[in-house]
Amino acid sequence: MSNQTLALLILVFPAAGALLLAGRGWRLPRIFTVLVGPGVVWASFVCVLALFAGKASGDFTYWTWIKSGSFDVPFNILIDNLSIFMCLVITGVGGLIVSYSVGYMEHEDDPSYGRFFCYMDVFIFSMLLLVLAGNFVFLIVGWALVGLSSYLLIGFWYQRHSAVVAARKAFVMNVIGDVGMILGTFVLFTQYHAVTYAKVFDALPCANGRSCIGGDQTLELAAFLLLIGAVAKSAQLPLHTWLPDAMEGPTPVSALIHAATMVTAGVYLVGRTHPIFDLAPYAHGAVAIIGAVTALFAATIAIVQVDIKRVLAYSTMSQIGYMFLAVGIGAYSAGFFHLLSHAFFKALLFLAAGNIIHAMHDEQDMRKYGGLWNQMRPTSIAFLVGSLSLVGVIPFVGFFSKEQILGLAFARGDLLSGSVWVIGALTALLTGFYTGRMWWLAFWGKPSPQRPVEHPHEAPPVMLVPVAILAVLAAVGGLLETRALGFGTSAVTDFLASVVGPQRWEESLPVVAIGLVTMILATALFYGAMRIRPWSSRVPWAQRLLERKYYFDDIYDGVFVRPLDRVAAFLQRDIEQPVIDAAVVDTGYLARWSAAELSLTQSGYFRNYVLVFVVGVVAIAGVLLLVRALT
Amino acid sequence: MSTLDIGGSHLDTSWFLVLSAILFTLGTVGVLIRRNPLVILISIELMLNAANLALVTFSRQLQNIDGQLFALMSMTVAAAEAVVGLAILVDIFRTRDAEDVDDLSELRG
Repeated sequence: MSNQTLALLILVFPAAGALLLAGRGWRLPRIFTVLVGPGVVWASFVCVLALFAGKASGDFTYWTWIKSGSFDVPFNILIDNLSIFMCLVITGVGGLIVSYSVGYMEHEDDPSYGRFFCYMDVFIFSMLLLVLAGNFVFLIVGWALVGLSSYLLIGFWYQRHSAVVAARKAFVMNVIGDVGMILGTFVLFTQYHAVTYAKVFDALPCANGRSCIGGDQTLELAAFLLLIGAVAKSAQLPLHTWLPDAMEGPTPVSALIHAATMVTAGVYLVGRTHPIFDLAPYAHGAVAIIGAVTALFAATIAIVQVDIKRVLAYSTMSQIGYMFLAVGIGAYSAGFFHLLSHAFFKALLFLAAGNIIHAMHDEQDMRKYGGLWNQMRPTSIAFLVGSLSLVGVIPFVGFFSKEQILGLAFARGDLLSGSVWVIGALTALLTGFYTGRMWWLAFWGKPSPQRPVEHPHEAPPVMLVPVAILAVLAAVGGLLETRALGFGTSAVTDFLASVVGPQRWEESLPVVAIGLVTMILATALFYGAMRIRPWSSRVPWAQRLLERKYYFDDIYDGVFVRPLDRVAAFLQRDIEQPVIDAAVVDTGYLARWSAAELSLTQSGYFRNYVLVFVVGVVAIAGVLLLVRALT
Repeated sequence: MSTLDIGGSHLDTSWFLVLSAILFTLGTVGVLIRRNPLVILISIELMLNAANLALVTFSRQLQNIDGQLFALMSMTVAAAEAVVGLAILVDIFRTRDAEDVDDLSELRG
């Protein structure tokens, strides 16, 4: 099979699976859903593996989608090492998550069960379209479809009011980002008259060895607009409020959104359009600053959360912040390595948390767990591996990726990267603390008296196997990228070098040492979280500030939502009802009244009609005679 | 004042027209005030024939055959109309005892 066909098949499988399940697929035996739902994702995974093994690359054009004057949009798939890398993460980790859902969602009735896997396949398809698109238009299509499918999945339990509200919030936030993306594409099109990556990047001022100077106003504008899209999709400040609420969805959905797809789209976008960001220093700097601030911001909130999924949600925001930080300072491959490592350990954490929530009958408050270590040993071990990886304990994968980001930020050595390094290092310590708090609270100590289940059951094999695979990956994935420590390989950096360029600067030995010390301190905090209480509990106002999430939701509520509600209420009460509604209703009344009056003339009496007829004839004749007499 | 030669005797045209007008008025009033459907039909015939008389009179007066032809046509129409009208009446009498057209007012608005 040619690479061109394989590339298209990656997209065709999940789309076909979604269509099969969207029909009346659920009326067939449940085994059909079980096979089709995860099966199509694995089929895509095989296609990606084939392309990966064949070292495929190329820009395959299939057909012209829109052609209008100079506006020419082909449907083309860009296969290069970056898109293959992303596809491996999406279909590989995504496949594990979808397979896990077979067990997690088993209590749903048949229509919901089929609907769930249909949405999951749509989600995978959208994300694959997003990373495979070879032009900005299809990027936007995939971008918007990801927003749509996240809306569907977050609001999956649509009987719950809170789920519907959360889904709507996620959708609105994402649409803000979509608008930024679309405007950014407009700017690029007006400047370069092309929408394919190849043509746009070719036309950039510095392409093809042309000499250039940075600071192009138009490029800055385009980069900032694209950044809005990235920020909304990746839940960075200030468009982050949807992500914690997205926990209303089923746990596998959270895993999919947080680990394999969606939130990483922003990192992918910055990496994919790095020729633009490289020429737009202000926008590029903004990426790093937003990432660093979000990382710290989310980590502080995570300290006081009591819902296990919310802690994980804020840690996702924090880790995505690291990726933004990395791509923002130009350490692209470090950012993507952290994306990979985060996909492993965050999927692991969410799925392991799913096992616990499943066993605890949907209780998510960590304070009501306690003592799970002795009762759910396999899940506990998996969760511990994920936690240690998140903290960055040697030798788990998180250590290597986080150390690389911090090391490169430190090594670059200008003011910007220096300050983001400080924030990043601080965040790494906080990560150790809140992860430790979560771990000790949920798994150690005595079972909480408020626990809903006295003797929880360990999850079935269909849920444990994906968790186990991810645990292994999170434990040994770091071997992919160990060169900073002076041995082994740098597989990810080498693999992505053809797209984002080689690593532009190296970590020196002292830098690595500082990274090691930071991570060891974080590990110590992880352990110490068993004993120390957060300082915030001694400072009531700080505690309240964190529990209210820095009042972001309240501010958005006060600035946007409530004024809008009030305007809407005013329009309804004072414009809609007395003016528009009244006009419509009164038109109806007019017709009814006039009909009632006019129907009196229809007496049904023959003589009346004749009389009118005669009078009419006489009157007409009279008028005619009168006219004749007068003229 | 013009005259018509009717079988040797001469009569003033206006007499015929006055007769026509009287007959037409009688017919109209009959349609308006009588309630028996049969009598109404007869009154309509009277109006038609009054019109025919006027047509024939003017035809003779103007020495133009058109008027007489039109009178013939009008008689044909009158015959057809009588057939349809009587058929309807017969049908109504079959289904109900309606001696008064005011009883036939189902199409009241």
